[in-house]
Amino acid sequence: MDFRYTPEDEAFRQEVRAGLRAILPDDIRERQRLTTTMNSDTHDQRVWFSLLDDKGWSVPAWPTEYGGPGWSAIQKYIFEDEMYLASAPEFQWTGTHMVGPVIYHFGDDAQKERFLPAIRRGDHIWCQGFSEPGSGSDLASLRTHAKLEGNKYVVNGQKIWTSTAYEADWGFFLVKTDLTVKPQAGISFLLIDMKSPGITVRRIPQINDEEHLCEVFLDNVEVPAENLVGTPGKGWTSAKFLLEHERTSSAFIFWNKRELRRARMIADDIVHDGRPLSQSPAFAGRLARLEADLAALEWSVLRVLANESHGFDASVASSILKLRGSEMQQATTEIQVDLLATRGLRAYVPGRDQPAPSLPDWPEYVPGRTAIATIMRAATLYGGTKQVQKNILAKLAFGL
Amino acid sequence: MNFDYSEMQQMLLDSAERLMKERGQVEKWRERRHIESGLDADGWAQFAELGWLMLPIPEDAGGLDGTMEDVALLNIALGKGLATEPYINSVVLSAYILDQAGGAHREALLGGIASGEARVALAHAEIGDRYDIDTPRATTAVHDGNGYKIDGAKSVIFDAPSATHFIVSADLADAGTSLFVVEAGAAGLALESYPLVDGTRAADLRFGGLVVDADALLASGAQATDLLFAATDRAAIAAVAQGVGSMEACLDLCSAYMKERKQFGQPIGNFQSLQHMIVDMLVATHQSRSALYGALAALDGEAQARIRAISAAKVVMGEASQLVMRHGVQIHGGYGVTDEYAISHHYRRLLSLEKAYGDIEYHVARLAAAHIA
Repeated sequence: MDFRYTPEDEAFRQEVRAGLRAILPDDIRERQRLTTTMNSDTHDQRVWFSLLDDKGWSVPAWPTEYGGPGWSAIQKYIFEDEMYLASAPEFQWTGTHMVGPVIYHFGDDAQKERFLPAIRRGDHIWCQGFSEPGSGSDLASLRTHAKLEGNKYVVNGQKIWTSTAYEADWGFFLVKTDLTVKPQAGISFLLIDMKSPGITVRRIPQINDEEHLCEVFLDNVEVPAENLVGTPGKGWTSAKFLLEHERTSSAFIFWNKRELRRARMIADDIVHDGRPLSQSPAFAGRLARLEADLAALEWSVLRVLANESHGFDASVASSILKLRGSEMQQATTEIQVDLLATRGLRAYVPGRDQPAPSLPDWPEYVPGRTAIATIMRAATLYGGTKQVQKNILAKLAFGL
Repeated sequence: MNFDYSEMQQMLLDSAERLMKERGQVEKWRERRHIESGLDADGWAQFAELGWLMLPIPEDAGGLDGTMEDVALLNIALGKGLATEPYINSVVLSAYILDQAGGAHREALLGGIASGEARVALAHAEIGDRYDIDTPRATTAVHDGNGYKIDGAKSVIFDAPSATHFIVSADLADAGTSLFVVEAGAAGLALESYPLVDGTRAADLRFGGLVVDADALLASGAQATDLLFAATDRAAIAAVAQGVGSMEACLDLCSAYMKERKQFGQPIGNFQSLQHMIVDMLVATHQSRSALYGALAALDGEAQARIRAISAAKVVMGEASQLVMRHGVQIHGGYGVTDEYAISHHYRRLLSLEKAYGDIEYHVARLAAAHIA
């Protein structure tokens, strides 16, 4: 057992830090630093990932044959940590972390050639079409149907919670290709061009005034049969792979660290009773507890990355990351709202065109704090609700 | 970064789990706890035989020079087996002070700890303290001939009834807080001993003109308080480790009980409300082990980072332990509040581990203060 970073790890960190600083454009960094939305600006993501790809850094988790840099798990961890410290836009997760790995794992050569380079360079923004109005936590009950007619599928149905669908180039969808078998069988993994005729996207107004989540209606959408990834009827396997292969990202550890840094910055900045709020016993205590919880979460992530071998079930550990990570996303943003007191109640419509705050009464960190904290209630809903996660853990860890 | 056990650590763990499995049975423990001094001599001899008592002791004093990772692993096993021996106080905390302070008693006492003949308890806390380390002591030491004369009182000194020696803190004129080695049977020292809820023993100590030789002085002033901070940090890590072990045992106990106990015609483990409770316990326990690793990683690093990591671990373990022990009893229903079920013993042990070496509030405040410094 040795829990320290090696000198090589530290050198790698310096290299990455300098490299990111050198290529990240100022305007993109400033927009990300002052973000008022839950997701990074997709325009910025496109630019940023082409710049990253020039350095060969845009898909750290991919195998080298598909353009990955061949880093160790700890190096990838350090890289992502530095991405957030640099205020770089976040990964376009659906592309780099979800559909990309499914394509290089289950896809054929033509699919790999067609889609992987575009994901790597940020040319394609992807959306995920899994959930349906009647299939949330119970995903296997989905009903969207794709019928094979000659060399194309004709797709009919409806998806919901499809983030970014309104500006996505492509979507990966779970569809029923066989209605005669039991629910989890007969599901296929289909890539659909979002500009296809028959697709209607309705943006859903959200609790935080964004309209990022969408409903997608598919009405006789024709999809070339070559866009089906893997074996027809085995899409459930791809979906499970997709949800499980990234074992640590659901901890949102870097996101959480960034938001706790932001909370501390706000607490240092607001002065009351002659001292910053970070020194008031109540807030200092809350910040300290959050820091303690976050330290534990970070080491839980490292345990999974380092593949601890003794008495360790990585599936259990990953589910724990999802549970605690989502709770921490809520806690680190809730405290920001609480620090702002009534100023946190001012509504700012998120997005590029938000009004600039006026100093000194309205510091730049005010817009977005409450909006992000509100939509963070979704963190314990998406990817399987917290309660479903607990059901899964009871079974996995205790056989209950 | 490497999370796997070395061969030596695996052997240590195997031997610990074997012995603890045998000794940790609740019936045996219930008999053992009536031993007046709180120490089962046969058990302590086994600890010595297995080399556990020499684990963190430096090689030049007859020890194994083990790392804090080794110590933590052993203590996880001790926690699992409800061990109440004075391991942390003597072998981790006091041995560290004796080693670092040096002086005439170093080798003899460290050798004694390693062989099991000596048990050294830290006598620092006084009435009015809440885990104070560097506040001035009301207990005083004055020069007396070639030595010192000590007067005063100490409060809730863990493991005192079985200790052969104490490290006593006292205010020495012009030198500030100073640490002295005092033998347990010394004239002028009176103990009022009592059991703690977890079956360990403690005592209040009174010093009335107790005289020690000049070489009993271990350290003074900043050196003394720095040693106390550093040693208490190590003890806190060991307590976190025992807490992790105890919580992991609670998970096993509750999981088994949920499968075996039937109500309404089915195992109570079928009920989702109870499933979610044990999952909350699992998550808290898992996070505690992670925080322990974080504390171990920071132990030899920069001071503020060390303080933050160790306090974070004690906070995470403390809060986790409260959830685990309370849920653990709740899951056991009425049996949970009986002395006959192991879960109630873990409840009391976890209560004690949370309160020892800084409770949740203490470490929250310390973590917060580390940002202002």
